[in-house]
Amino acid sequence: MTKFYEIGQRPSEIILHPDGDAPLHRRRLPFTRRHLLKWRSRTNPKSLQQERMLADKRPLWWALGLGALAITAPFLTNASLTIAAIFCMFAAINVLWTLVIGTAGIFSLATLAIVGIGAYASAGLNVYLGLPWPLMFVAGGVAGLIVGGFLALPSTRLDGLYYALLTMGFAEICRVFVQQLKALTAANGAINNVGSFIPEDWQLQRPGLLLGFAGAFVILLLALLIFRIVNSERLGMLLQTAREDEAFAEATGIDYRRARLMVFLISSTGLGVIGAFYAQFYGSISPSIFSLDQLMLLFAMIVIGGLGRSEGAVIGTAIVVLIDKGLLGLGPLRILLVAAIMLAVTLFAHNGLVGIREQFRGWRNRKKSEARARRTEKGGEVMPEEAIEFADKQEIYYRRFQKRLRDRLKALITPELIEEHRLRPLGQHSDALNRVLNHFRRGEVADKYAIMRQPDQFHAYKIVAFSGVRGAPPRLVDDKIYDDINQAYHAVFLLRVNDLMES
Amino acid sequence: MDISVTLINGLNLAAIYGLMAIGISLLWSSVGMINMAHGATFAASGYAAWLVADATKALVLAAFGKGLLTTSLMAGITLTAGAGFGALFGALIYLLAFLPIHDKPNFPVRSLIVTLAINLATVQGLLWYFGPKQKNLPKIFGTGKLEFLGLSARYDQIGAILATAVILGLTLFWLKTSRKGLEIRAMMQNPEGAVLSGISVRWTALPVTMLTGALAGLAAILLSQTIFVSPTSGTMPLIKGLTIALLGGLGSVPGAVAGAIIIGFLEAIVGAIPFLGQRYVLFATFLFIIIVLIIRPRGLGGLLDEARK
Repeated sequence: MTKFYEIGQRPSEIILHPDGDAPLHRRRLPFTRRHLLKWRSRTNPKSLQQERMLADKRPLWWALGLGALAITAPFLTNASLTIAAIFCMFAAINVLWTLVIGTAGIFSLATLAIVGIGAYASAGLNVYLGLPWPLMFVAGGVAGLIVGGFLALPSTRLDGLYYALLTMGFAEICRVFVQQLKALTAANGAINNVGSFIPEDWQLQRPGLLLGFAGAFVILLLALLIFRIVNSERLGMLLQTAREDEAFAEATGIDYRRARLMVFLISSTGLGVIGAFYAQFYGSISPSIFSLDQLMLLFAMIVIGGLGRSEGAVIGTAIVVLIDKGLLGLGPLRILLVAAIMLAVTLFAHNGLVGIREQFRGWRNRKKSEARARRTEKGGEVMPEEAIEFADKQEIYYRRFQKRLRDRLKALITPELIEEHRLRPLGQHSDALNRVLNHFRRGEVADKYAIMRQPDQFHAYKIVAFSGVRGAPPRLVDDKIYDDINQAYHAVFLLRVNDLMES
Repeated sequence: MDISVTLINGLNLAAIYGLMAIGISLLWSSVGMINMAHGATFAASGYAAWLVADATKALVLAAFGKGLLTTSLMAGITLTAGAGFGALFGALIYLLAFLPIHDKPNFPVRSLIVTLAINLATVQGLLWYFGPKQKNLPKIFGTGKLEFLGLSARYDQIGAILATAVILGLTLFWLKTSRKGLEIRAMMQNPEGAVLSGISVRWTALPVTMLTGALAGLAAILLSQTIFVSPTSGTMPLIKGLTIALLGGLGSVPGAVAGAIIIGFLEAIVGAIPFLGQRYVLFATFLFIIIVLIIRPRGLGGLLDEARK
């Protein structure tokens, strides 16, 4: 068997060829009705073989990326390991932020404020009241939930930008408040010596760094899990309807405000937990987490990746963290670099880096159809995209034949031919005129004309056009009266020629 | 604490924040763009004015000697340099954040991001080029104090207040009387209708961005009479201007003026109360704005239908 050129998308798809009688056997994730991978079965109409195609390859990409990170981490240098851990932590924050901005559609800038409050609450309880470290996560989560509930109240009342400003103001208030606290004045508003999941004598040692990275990695995985559960299950579906048309969603009984609040509360709780982790990871927490610069950097991350998608949040975080923490030697220039990337991505891409693929496909399709429109003229032929609408495929070929025939006949029509017909409408004709007339005779009734003798008059004719519908009378073409039948024949001929040239 | 000092302080702050807020508000209502690079314009034109003043100082001193003429000439040079560079920076913002994307999908968010990136880049660029050291602009109103009806005010405060009033008056006059001003006001009321009447979006947006840039440049010169020029000096005025513009209702010039006066006085009063003090100024301002926004979600002046959505 000869090997064909592989064209189109098919070669890059993942396709299995099971035996025709092998049943589709898919494992469900425990306690859920979900499958891990989205296999789709079909019979290939060309090869008549059973195939099983992977319809959604994103889980593979996620597994590859995160797996590569987890495997390479133990071989990284200490500095790189810290950067990887920071990346995981910020990626987790951004994934939860994406949930708020993308899924819930609330333009909140209080993300870092909630993280900071979770961190301060848990760290304060640990240092001053001796809360053991595993309970710090609970404390952070509760603090995040409370603050989230407080912040969520005005979120449905205010418009996007107003709410963004309000949350920005909230972050500023938090910063000032923490700096004013009497108990923390000595440390400039920071809480130090926070208990941690990293044992004390491992701090800043290789095992401690590895443990820190492992913790951050687990946090990232949990954040992605929360994103998956919230975004693509019931809450996310409700909110997607609301995003497309709020009034419609409300009319069908979707309480999208409540759904938004739920998403906001869930992500706030998660952010509080990440805050507790943040305090443990660094062993301290300082008011700089509430600062505007930090917030802007975080915003740059999700903007570069693309708003509203978890891949975007993670990719953007990777780029910005690598530049910000990895190229420390550049000084202020690295922020300049981040700004330049942000500028370029926003100017050229509609929705960040992850949106480029879709944007490119849209552009390519537009160009393709433009080019095709340039090189094809329709003329009654069936276009490829129309062809699927014809059940009887012979119709397509019939129309193509008719089109080519018309093209040939058009080339035959010349002034000499018309003159020949004018002189002798009936009788023997040249070959070309015969062909044209034969084509006219074969046409549909709807395309034909007739000569009508005027009642009570001798040698007075008008031309009528058939409607082609039984019962509907012919209509008058114009009021011109011909006193010679040959003139009338020729007038009909001219009309048909005109129709042919225009078709 | 003397009530007069509070009053003058409040007016001074209100004047400068008002200039910023009106710039932001005007740009939003006519072009539909939140300009986060307003603070960058502020800082950059402060530096430009400093550079020009530094370069011409010796020349002017040599030509006219010490005296009123030199001071007023330096004032003219500094103000022109600040406003001119502000306008140029506004044109840059127009070229980067408006022209390429104004007819593309989700323009408001993308222009916000672009201006944010410009802000970030400018601040870091200034920090990198000039270093974090603060620069001192020439005192364009001279130094000294004026006693009037029992009120005592420094020259720079009075100058800032008067200059702002004059600038705002001129701007509003231009908007009310000129042909371009008519076009801009048409764009504010109904962008689609304005376009259908043959008003070009591009040629309206350019003067608006340049005008608001010039306003930011002037605000920079005026504020630099009280504090210094530094790379990050634009952040606070930007935040203040944004909050005041939102408090007044985006797109409403009277609302912005009212908001600026309220915030200016609020800051001055909170700063003057002994047990609160300067440290709680920001806290109090934001708390106030949050309360107002919760009660009136579209700010003071933004009557629901008039504000651009």
